[in-house]
Amino acid sequence: MNRFPLAALAVTLCFSLALSACATRVERIEVDETRDLSGEWNDTDSRLVSEEMVRDALARPWLDNFINETGNLPAVIVGQVRNLSHEHINVATFVGDIERELLNSGGVQFVASKVERDQIREERQDQELNASAETVKRMGEELGADFMLQGAINTILDTEGKEQVRFYQVDLSLISLADNRKVWAGQKKIKKFVKKNSIRW
Amino acid sequence: MSCTGPKPLAALVVAGMVLSQAACVTGIGYQRADLDHFLSNNLTAEALEVVELRRGSSRNEAINLLDKAMLLRMQQQFEASNDAFEQAKDVIDELDAISIGEQAAAVTINDAMRKYLPRTFERALVHCFKALNYLQLRQYDSARVEVLQLDELFKQEEDFRLPFARYLSGLVFEFNQEPDNALIAYRKAYEAYSERGSAIPGILQQDLLRLTDYLGRAEEHSLYDEEFALVSWPTQQVFRQQAHAVAILFNGLIPRLHSHEILAQSPGDGRMHRISTPFYERRYTRVYSVMLASDRAANDSELFADLEQHARAALDDEMPGIIARTVARVAVKDRVVDETAEEQPLIGFALNVLAVLSEQADTRAWYTLPQEILVTRLELEPGLHDLQLLLDGSLRADANHSWQQIELEPGETVVFGLHWPESYSTIGRR
Repeated sequence: MNRFPLAALAVTLCFSLALSACATRVERIEVDETRDLSGEWNDTDSRLVSEEMVRDALARPWLDNFINETGNLPAVIVGQVRNLSHEHINVATFVGDIERELLNSGGVQFVASKVERDQIREERQDQELNASAETVKRMGEELGADFMLQGAINTILDTEGKEQVRFYQVDLSLISLADNRKVWAGQKKIKKFVKKNSIRW
Repeated sequence: MSCTGPKPLAALVVAGMVLSQAACVTGIGYQRADLDHFLSNNLTAEALEVVELRRGSSRNEAINLLDKAMLLRMQQQFEASNDAFEQAKDVIDELDAISIGEQAAAVTINDAMRKYLPRTFERALVHCFKALNYLQLRQYDSARVEVLQLDELFKQEEDFRLPFARYLSGLVFEFNQEPDNALIAYRKAYEAYSERGSAIPGILQQDLLRLTDYLGRAEEHSLYDEEFALVSWPTQQVFRQQAHAVAILFNGLIPRLHSHEILAQSPGDGRMHRISTPFYERRYTRVYSVMLASDRAANDSELFADLEQHARAALDDEMPGIIARTVARVAVKDRVVDETAEEQPLIGFALNVLAVLSEQADTRAWYTLPQEILVTRLELEPGLHDLQLLLDGSLRADANHSWQQIELEPGETVVFGLHWPESYSTIGRR
């Protein structure tokens, strides 16, 4: 007699559970909260590496030397930071993090990158035709960079079955545009152990 | 009150058999026929529509994404193609773990109840096509990422060889100005071709001689020199002064899997049994050779990859497992029919019919893949060039392709990739 209601209850419960598992759930989290899902390079890695490298760059003697010699803050331009790793890393966000950290430190000034410059020059050209004489920004008065920031992100993987050790090495250097001298070389390493599921339902 | 309903195992198997039949009538079959028709006639936009309209089982998610990615690539939508490939890679990563439920379904209902996990050669080709997309987008660092991931796959699958993938890796390293890594990749390509008993393409021979000479690998160089006996090959210095056009033709379509059925009736109880195993059809490309020509020179293509061979080898490797599962299924289905028929003969008979119908071979595969890969390279003087790709054997009026006013710097290489699925098949065992 009681078999049918019990079975119906069990089926209903299973359906409810299945449906709740399928529903999309969104939870807002702090931008500096660490959540590693895949084990790949993520926002936390980008932030931690950029913070540490900038701290290192600002603590080295090249900065004081330059200010003492010229009386100005060094102007830096971001060159190529190559992704030589095993992952598709968004280098632009990493470079953005570095740029922001350096700029906000007040120790250096940045000049626009090659891509940004083209757009600004186009605008300046437009101003020469259309802006008033008092507000027009003239061509040929740009601030030339003193140093170029270049670097690369490399990885070494060691995999055995479903287990993997991921080793990331980020190398950045500042090169003097006047004489090609490397005035600073920074390096940051990250090592992660990733274990994937070998069984699923 | 005694319970005479079906037992749990029987209920599970019956439900699965009904579901598997339901899946078959949702149109997978005719969608595949449509896709084949459009692809064989080079109608990639229409083929993409068929793939976009595919809905239903998550069991085919990887295939749907791979087909979509490939069709987008055929339409020169390289970024969108890479997005779809990346999604497919995520799905493949998840499926890499063994599913207990799917394995159980495979030994009780049929092999197609499992989610489709691309075969090793298909997984390697995901990286190859992504790398090619990046090369054609001139994003060489990203192409390099794919090549490194490919290398990881090769490390995991030690017995697996796909020489074209190694050659492509070398090409990507050369784009990234890494001749040492390029030589390693070319060497691995050479070893893989040799192990497979395939001819070493002339382009690869030249590259090996050029880079062993440049990198001072005298002993290795003399071994290649003796084996290849080429009349001439460009030194690295000459190579850097020249410009290069590489054309890759993805020719035909990989053969389709069909189901081979054996239907037998048990003499004792009259019960029907069906055994169903997959086999590859014979498929033929229309184009048999490609020529890349400029205003001053022309070069014929060479066969770099016979993907049909890889597909057939993969099926051969899978066959013991397929047969073992088929035998296990016959036993499981028989037991369910026996148990049911004892108590309710009519339902037992119906179950026997369902068991026979649900016994189907898994004929899923990544069907937008080409059958073979042909490569040709042309050395050019730096400057402006009009290039033509001439396809021999095509029945189509639009078979020849041209690229006007391509400007090439010294040392620059430009890659053209063309998919030409025009092909036909005759179904039969090879």
